[in-house]
Amino acid sequence: MQLFRGNISKSALLLFAAALFLTSVGIVIIQSAMFAAPTQYEQDYFKRQMIWTVAALFLFVIVVFVPMRFFEVFAYVFFGVVVIMLAGLLFKGGGRAARWYNLGFFNLQVAELAKIAVVFVLARYLTYSRRPANSVRRFASVLILVAIPMLMVLKQPDLGTSIVFVAVLITVLYWSGLPATYMLLLITPVVSLIASSHWISWIVFFVLVLVLLQMIKPGTLFSIATIGVNLLSGMIMPFIWNRLQDYQKMRILVFLDPGRDPLGAGYQIIQSKVAVGSGGLWGKGYMAGTQTNLAFIPERHTDFVFSVIGEEFGFWGGLLILIAFVGIILLGIRIALKCRNRFSSFVVIGGVTIIAFQLVVNVGMALGLMPVTGLPLPFISYGGSSLLMSWMILGLIVNSELNWQEY
Amino acid sequence: MTVGGYTRALRANLLAGFLLTVILLLIVRMFYMQTFQHEAYLEISEKNRIRVVPEIAVRGRVFDRNGILLIDNRPSYAVAAVPSEITNLNAVSSDLSELLGVPEERIQQKIRKSRYRRYEPVRLKRDASFDVVCRIEEASDHYPGIVLQLDQSRNYPEHGSAAHLLGYPSEITEDELDRLRGKGFRSGSLIGRKGIERSYDHYLRGIDGTRHLEVTAEGKIVGPLDERAPIMPTAGFDLTLTIDYDLQLLGESLFGDSLSGALVAMDPNTGGILAFVSQPTFDANLFTGPLSTEDWKRLSTDQQHPLLNRCIQATYPPGSSYKLIVAGAALESGTVTTETRFLGCTGGYRYGNRVFKCHKLSGHGVLTLVDAIAASCNVYFYQLGKKLGLEKFSEYSRACGFGKRLGIDLGDEVPGLVPDADYYDNRYGERKWPKSVILNLTIGQGELLVTPLQMATFYSALANGGRLLRPHVLRGLETVEGAISMDTEEIRRLPFSPETIAVLQKAAFEVVNGVLGTARRARIDGTTVAGKTGTAQNPHGNEHSWFCAYAPADDPVIAVACIVENAGHGGAVAAPIVAKVIERYLQSNGIIPEVPQPELPMEEIVDATL
Repeated sequence: MQLFRGNISKSALLLFAAALFLTSVGIVIIQSAMFAAPTQYEQDYFKRQMIWTVAALFLFVIVVFVPMRFFEVFAYVFFGVVVIMLAGLLFKGGGRAARWYNLGFFNLQVAELAKIAVVFVLARYLTYSRRPANSVRRFASVLILVAIPMLMVLKQPDLGTSIVFVAVLITVLYWSGLPATYMLLLITPVVSLIASSHWISWIVFFVLVLVLLQMIKPGTLFSIATIGVNLLSGMIMPFIWNRLQDYQKMRILVFLDPGRDPLGAGYQIIQSKVAVGSGGLWGKGYMAGTQTNLAFIPERHTDFVFSVIGEEFGFWGGLLILIAFVGIILLGIRIALKCRNRFSSFVVIGGVTIIAFQLVVNVGMALGLMPVTGLPLPFISYGGSSLLMSWMILGLIVNSELNWQEY
Repeated sequence: MTVGGYTRALRANLLAGFLLTVILLLIVRMFYMQTFQHEAYLEISEKNRIRVVPEIAVRGRVFDRNGILLIDNRPSYAVAAVPSEITNLNAVSSDLSELLGVPEERIQQKIRKSRYRRYEPVRLKRDASFDVVCRIEEASDHYPGIVLQLDQSRNYPEHGSAAHLLGYPSEITEDELDRLRGKGFRSGSLIGRKGIERSYDHYLRGIDGTRHLEVTAEGKIVGPLDERAPIMPTAGFDLTLTIDYDLQLLGESLFGDSLSGALVAMDPNTGGILAFVSQPTFDANLFTGPLSTEDWKRLSTDQQHPLLNRCIQATYPPGSSYKLIVAGAALESGTVTTETRFLGCTGGYRYGNRVFKCHKLSGHGVLTLVDAIAASCNVYFYQLGKKLGLEKFSEYSRACGFGKRLGIDLGDEVPGLVPDADYYDNRYGERKWPKSVILNLTIGQGELLVTPLQMATFYSALANGGRLLRPHVLRGLETVEGAISMDTEEIRRLPFSPETIAVLQKAAFEVVNGVLGTARRARIDGTTVAGKTGTAQNPHGNEHSWFCAYAPADDPVIAVACIVENAGHGGAVAAPIVAKVIERYLQSNGIIPEVPQPELPMEEIVDATL
């Protein structure tokens, strides 16, 4: 029986090997990070991660062999179900932080599902949209599609995941061939938001936008829209700032200046940097990280798992992990490029974006380059939902690779 | 496929390039942290996990000259809180505030400060009272997270005996720590505050040891750090004082609760202090824990000033007990001879338009110098002083050790005051003061101020033939290198020739033993006492009663200066106290036989019971 055209390719094998390597390393790291934890439950995290790995491999195999057509057909249904689940969480938590459904044997993190749902729905919409790439209606439609789950996740509140949606949206639109004018319209307001924290940086930024507009010459309508949106986002900055939760404000302030509250919110960043830096080139060795084992690093099995890698396995260990990720990302982009099926191509680009974005944010956080956002490191961080999502994305990429010739 | 003017391949390359650049930045940052910054981060991570726990050195003990223990250490309990076990901070701190007498905010602040080392006990009060310890032990359910830590506290003699001499240590302040860091002090260290606890703090303190423990982020102890061996503490040195504690207790009991004043007894051959009484006194044991606000208020606002060390910090006019210094100056400068007689005393002396009185209103008549001293005739001395002059008076006074610190090995000594022409010029304006000031000074009144220690030191010098010795309380200490003992140190010689000193000694003998003498109450069976009374007027109340003496007169072994505040005539109050102190010392040193307490005849007891 031939399930797909073509042979089992070298790329697919490499992808699988890299992901399996990362997942195995993850199990080892989780064990090393938690063996000195006070409770048996915490010490057993790595065992549960092993069980999740088996489940994730099953899911991977299923996703590889299910025709892409299936995901395409059910994209809107899947999206609708996820939106309903997110809405349910809002009611369940009474507007407060509820992030999962307890399914008895595990807590389902709906945000992880939502990431994939958004990728599917964007791919589906962009595949069949007959409107040209620079159509305003097409642009507005995808914005609304992403905004619905994004606002619901933001309300949880889960700032990290909602930013993942933005990253996916921008990359997928870019992949669809969105003209530079739109990219400008999409990206500059975000930068304006950040630049407006100081009036000098905002003026410098605004001059840059005007120069860019002059170079691209997008026409009067676009120029006015871009300037307007930038002015608006620059001015609503204080408004948004006031709407942020205190802990979110603190995280941003502390990221800008970790010494601000060295025993409070800045503690995590400082201790993580100390862990990575003290690891040196070769690391302190398996189970020998003092920052890790003496609990100086918080969330060391999930959000700060890269700090453990840096401390115990040093620069070379961290480099090896990053190389495996780079492999997955580059292979993914190549597959997205050669895919004849538009839906598959969009799905692969969306999936690669999720993995790359979470990688950069998570590692950047451990190195003190990013604010603390609480995004897991794909394949490595402890957690069933995250591991299943990572392997599902890998399954979609491999599926596309094996069936790249199909239209 | 071409959309919008640029191909999908170009877009793929741009995207890949962008992501690779970002990841490369992460790698560069990681490399920088793990190579160039590695040492610095490694140091922080080591500091993170290692807690240096001090092993407090045992403070040295203090003994008197006969080996009686004056200060030792006793086990005590400190009350501490373990933040991780405190669920309701407000409730616990309000309960504890009441129990310990520590303000509620202080307790909350201390516990909050260490919320990231939740397993590490925070010390709230050291040396908690037995009552407090019992109540915490009994109701441990009521005080969750409150623990008792075994500690050491100083144990001082009861009833504040010798408190001014011994002093006390207390916890080092933040400011002191800034100055003294690196000299063996750390937060929570004890440092001597007063008395020998301060002046010999360096020897008493010892050297704290250290243990290195590995701790978790929350301060939970994992275990001792194998890489670093513990350093054992070195106990402080034991001190032996020159004090005769038996004599000290006697001196204190002679003052009792009703009298205030000071008594300094000295060995005239060494300068060692034998007794150092300052009454009223305070209980140094109050200072071993943090002093409660209540106690501090009581001690500091007491009109009797119990914290004042009267032996070296209080200055008094010496009254007639200063006449020996003035007489010496007059003899030595050739102002008078032993045969000089002035106009007879008629109970007063007119100078200018003022009459200066003598204490004997009927008058002493015509006297020689020795008789004038023995009878303490003011009129004789007014005329002597007039002839001597202010300049000579000040010069000889200073040379006898007055008007400056003697350098006893206790802090806080004050210099007293010997006025001279400059002093009066400054105070009243140049030459705007009457020449009659010298009349008051010659009888130890006016602006002249002395400390009891200065009087004792002068009388010691008089007793030993003219050597002014540095007073000291430390006899010796045992160090690892061997025993160190304090040498007798001569500050200078009195500015008097042996002949002059002989005359003064004769006069002092007559004060006690002569027919005219004012201190006949100071006589002791079996030996001869020599000394001089003083009755010092003061503007604040009754006259102060002075008596300064030494014995035996022919071969002195003890000199004593005593002042009883507002008690009246020197011969009546201070002289008997000094006599009892001298008698006890001579008896215990075998110079005069101990007189058995007279036992009541059997019949009388029988009669009494009938």
